[in-house]
Amino acid sequence: MLGLLAALVAAASDETRAETPAERGRYLATVGDCVACHTAPGGTPFAGGRAIETPFGPIIAPNLTPDRASGLGAWSDADFLRALRRGLRPDGARLYPACPYVYFSAVRDEDLLAIRAFLATLTPVANPARGAGFGFPFNLRPLMVFWDALYFRPAPFVADPGRSMAWNRGAYLVEGLGHCGACHGAKGALGADPEPGVLGGGRVRGWFAPDLGGDPRAGLGGWSLDDIERYLATGSNGRALAAGPMAEVVENSTARLTMADLRAIALYLKQDAPLSQPAAAPSPVPNGRIGAAIYADACAACHRANGEGVPGLFPRLAGSSAVQSARPDTLITVVLHGGRAAATGAAPTGPAMPALGWRLDDASVAAVLTYIRSAWGNEAAPVSSEAVRRGR
Amino acid sequence: MLTLAEAATLEAIVDRLIPPDELGPGGREAGCALFIDRQLAGPFGRSESLYLLPPFLDGTPEQGLQSPLTPAVRMRAGLAALEAHCRAAFVGRAFAALPPAGQDRLLSEIEDGTRSLAGVNARAWFDLVLQMTMEGFFADPIHGGNRQMAGWRLIGFPGARYDYRDWVERHGAAYTLPPVGIGGRPGWHDAG
Ligand code: HEC
Ligand code: HEC
Ligand code: HEC
Repeated sequence: MLGLLAALVAAASDETRAETPAERGRYLATVGDCVACHTAPGGTPFAGGRAIETPFGPIIAPNLTPDRASGLGAWSDADFLRALRRGLRPDGARLYPACPYVYFSAVRDEDLLAIRAFLATLTPVANPARGAGFGFPFNLRPLMVFWDALYFRPAPFVADPGRSMAWNRGAYLVEGLGHCGACHGAKGALGADPEPGVLGGGRVRGWFAPDLGGDPRAGLGGWSLDDIERYLATGSNGRALAAGPMAEVVENSTARLTMADLRAIALYLKQDAPLSQPAAAPSPVPNGRIGAAIYADACAACHRANGEGVPGLFPRLAGSSAVQSARPDTLITVVLHGGRAAATGAAPTGPAMPALGWRLDDASVAAVLTYIRSAWGNEAAPVSSEAVRRGR
Repeated sequence: MLTLAEAATLEAIVDRLIPPDELGPGGREAGCALFIDRQLAGPFGRSESLYLLPPFLDGTPEQGLQSPLTPAVRMRAGLAALEAHCRAAFVGRAFAALPPAGQDRLLSEIEDGTRSLAGVNARAWFDLVLQMTMEGFFADPIHGGNRQMAGWRLIGFPGARYDYRDWVERHGAAYTLPPVGIGGRPGWHDAG
């Protein structure tokens, strides 16, 4: 019974499209966003060569085109399944979990093999780039055995018969190919991804991928299903703009998914009933006047004096979950180094936030961020100058 | 770039060109001399953007200065010539030690060409000092002058604000926001 349900879930979005496995695979590879990592900047899609940042150092995502020597041309289907399920290469070497196989292990054989069928249709490109620049001891691939033993339990997706088909489809996409938790779940000390279903927020390349749970301030508690769908489909809804790593996810992946799949993802993410608003006593803001002065002079032109922003152009800061996140990484990165929001067919502008690190010293950035985390009814911990210094 | 003695003379000059009064601070307090010093030490002072190969012929006034001498060299030569003149004419006293009325008289004579200084084009030198003093008074404070935005406050210039959309519709209302420089304003650092 459960097996049948799982099969239905995997097929849920497919009934409208009578496709070959390779066509299905193209769509599923989009869900998995393989192209984001397995493409060098400016390089041929899927031909590998991009260095992926990990907590231990950069590691190159290799060539997935069917080139026999440097790509997957000589791999069997079983080789492919073993790599994406268990992180094992045909030669027995272990893959670093920088490739999110921890999530892919939940994906059904048929879907993985469809991706393989799609990859096999690509033009072979010779690009032997691979390998990692880790320091000892993480440069020892065999050590990954212990990592795997500690953290990795390959687990096929199990549908919840008590939930709707759409909800289960959402769970399958989020916890499987979509690997949302690779960024939105807190990383353990060894770079381990969290338990499936834990999307409590995590740090990625200087950004903070917010809590996707029901917290009304820092999470999606205040978002409607439509808000989530529009964000994933266009990168922009009246509340937030997707920037940084999420802009890439939206442009390469979620903006290209069917509305049915986006609705399924939204349903799954909204599974937790919104938590009741915690009634915290407003705490006095250190340097409130200085932060307010900087905001008025350097930020209000775009984000408006009342923090409401301009829909689709300048994100709202009032009530924003990104602004009230547990960790201020995104805020520090955006103010110091600037950012660019996703540009999608439906929202093609891709507005950019200018870098202001040259204009504001650490104490000023800390003061203005502390201000936006406590103004207009926002509530989140102050940001220290020290945290800003580390973000430079 | 300037020596302490040269800087003292220049400070005295800028404070006569823009004297402190009831409307606000003068050139000295506004940091004009520091601005000039920094400009002379930089590409402007070295004439980096000018074509500096001979021949040098006297041109028409419209053609501007025709000289291999950089602003830094001209500034120093002028300051030295002024000092030499003062020491000879006022029993060893430096320009900075003259009473304000005496300083004004001397500078006015140089400006209108009735006083020459040995070895330099005194009028051209005066033009250079006056031009740079005004720049120092009104340029963004990030360059060392216009301290506390004295120049901008005097004329009501709002500074480098991003835009004024919030004010566009407020016809007839007084604009009250303090000026902001490229590097911010005093209120960004102390709650002023
Ligand atoms: C977050 C970045 C990232 C994403 C997303 C990603 N990969 Fe990877 N992948 C990597 C990295 C990095 C490696 C190399 C790991 C190593 O060398 O240990 C890798 C290795 C692989 C390998 C092994 C290739 C070889 O020659 O060793 C395969 C196969 C693979 N990925 C397939 C996929 C597929 C299919 C997808 C999409 C469903 C995908 N990857 C998505 C980063 C990624
Ligand atoms: C490569 C890392 C990464 C992956 C993978 C990723 N995200 Fe994100 N996500 C982020 C970051 C970083 C942000 C914050 C972006 C910003 O502040 O502009 C974000 C923001 C979001 C937001 C807005 C949250 C808020 O409170 O503003 C939603 C919703 C979201 N992601 C959903 C998803 C879903 C669903 C997936 C999986 C399909 C996913 N993300 C995969 C990094 C990632
Ligand atoms: C020129 C217009 C402009 C100015 C000035 C500006 N911003 Fe932004 N800001 C943007 C745009 C556009 C984005 C969306 C792109 C992004 O997230 O990188 C953004 C994003 C942000 C975000 C991320 C919001 C989220 O949901 O992830 C924060 C926080 C932020 N700005 C704070 C500030 C602060 C603080 C200042 C003043 C020190 C400031 N901004 C000045 C245009 C501006």
